[in-house]
Amino acid sequence: MPAKKSVTPQAIPPNQPTEADLIMLNDVQSAELAVRDLYDTALRAGAFSDEQTGVLQLFRDHHTAYAQAINGIIGKSAINKRNESLYSSNSDLVTASTTSLPTLQSLENILVATHTTIVGSLIGMDAVTLIASILIVEARHAAVFGSAPKMDVASALNDVAASLVTSNSAGG
Amino acid sequence: MMAIPKKTKTHLAELSRRDLFRIGGMGLISATLLAACSKNDLTADNAIASIGTIPPNSSLPKVDVTDVVLLRTAVSVEYNSIDMYTAAIDGGYFSGDFASTAEIAKRFRDDHLAHAETLNTLAVALGGTTFDCANSRINSLIIKPAFDLITAPDNPDVAFDTVTLAHAFETVSAQMYQGFVGQFSDPKLRGETIRIGQNNVRHAVILAQLINPGLSGIEPSADPATGIANVVAVPSAFGNLAILRVPFGSPNADGVKTSITMETPSLNALTYDFVSC
Repeated sequence: MPAKKSVTPQAIPPNQPTEADLIMLNDVQSAELAVRDLYDTALRAGAFSDEQTGVLQLFRDHHTAYAQAINGIIGKSAINKRNESLYSSNSDLVTASTTSLPTLQSLENILVATHTTIVGSLIGMDAVTLIASILIVEARHAAVFGSAPKMDVASALNDVAASLVTSNSAGG
Repeated sequence: MMAIPKKTKTHLAELSRRDLFRIGGMGLISATLLAACSKNDLTADNAIASIGTIPPNSSLPKVDVTDVVLLRTAVSVEYNSIDMYTAAIDGGYFSGDFASTAEIAKRFRDDHLAHAETLNTLAVALGGTTFDCANSRINSLIIKPAFDLITAPDNPDVAFDTVTLAHAFETVSAQMYQGFVGQFSDPKLRGETIRIGQNNVRHAVILAQLINPGLSGIEPSADPATGIANVVAVPSAFGNLAILRVPFGSPNADGVKTSITMETPSLNALTYDFVSC
């Protein structure tokens, strides 16, 4: 058994984001804005049933809320622009009927992976708790694509996705 | 034969109400004087003197909520999930429309075993000890009372209630990880543990779809008859940490089931260093 480390008082982390946090938060906000726009693009293609449209609009609105909430933490330093690379590499896929839903599921998993990396790197606690509360629901979004309308447990649980940031670039 | 003496008035009966007040007042003054003039060291430990034997105060061990304690607590909750699925599978509670859920439950149990192993590895790396059993307080407050209601002989919804329990507990488990990110001192542990939390919340989505299937079971909705919120896959835009009240068992005469309150582990349910299986 390894020797027990002594318990030393931990420094209380700040609530406000640090300079490094602001860079990461701008990255995740731009990713949220790109995914929001991709939902809009998919909805404009109009290849969905009324029920599907309702669910996709709900998820789109969630991503709008996430971008706004992150904006509230970033404040004046917010760039408020979508991740153009993420948008352009997926815009065709979300409009094709065969690839639309799998692509949106994949995007949700990418956001979950990105936020997980960033939660492990942020210092300011306001941002940490916000991003954690966002990624938990984005994991729900991803699982919905795997479980409704047809149940596919493996797809719903599959969270393999590349983070848009690495832990080094995220400062971790 | 002995003559019975005639009852005579007692001295007490001869006292007037004014006399009683006077005597009472004298007694009070005497007691106050005695107390004021007595020594302070009535008892060795300077406590108020009392009759009988009083057991010595036993104080709780001094504890800190460290990263290791949070990790061990998470392990214990993972074992609650493992035990819950094992009881449901072995007890044959997944039946009827939910018969196929047993296979899904086995997959979820394997996931929780993997989570427990990961968390124990993290705890040991920090100098802590592993924990390999369920959280007894969570068991006594949530799991056991729920199963007592589910397995009652008059419960007509054993399978449905079992899936409901699994859904609610997966939700609480994910809430725990979401709550813990604000408590870990090491940022890396936040990432490692929320990764597990997002897996548990996927379990909750699958179980929600089994309870309330299809696209109508995704957005928040309420039962039109009762106004009570339905179980749905995405109940809110942000992950919330609210307490859940989950109904189980046989309904009473008014059609209402007994609700059990579920919440994430609080300070009195954490798996401190001195807690062992």
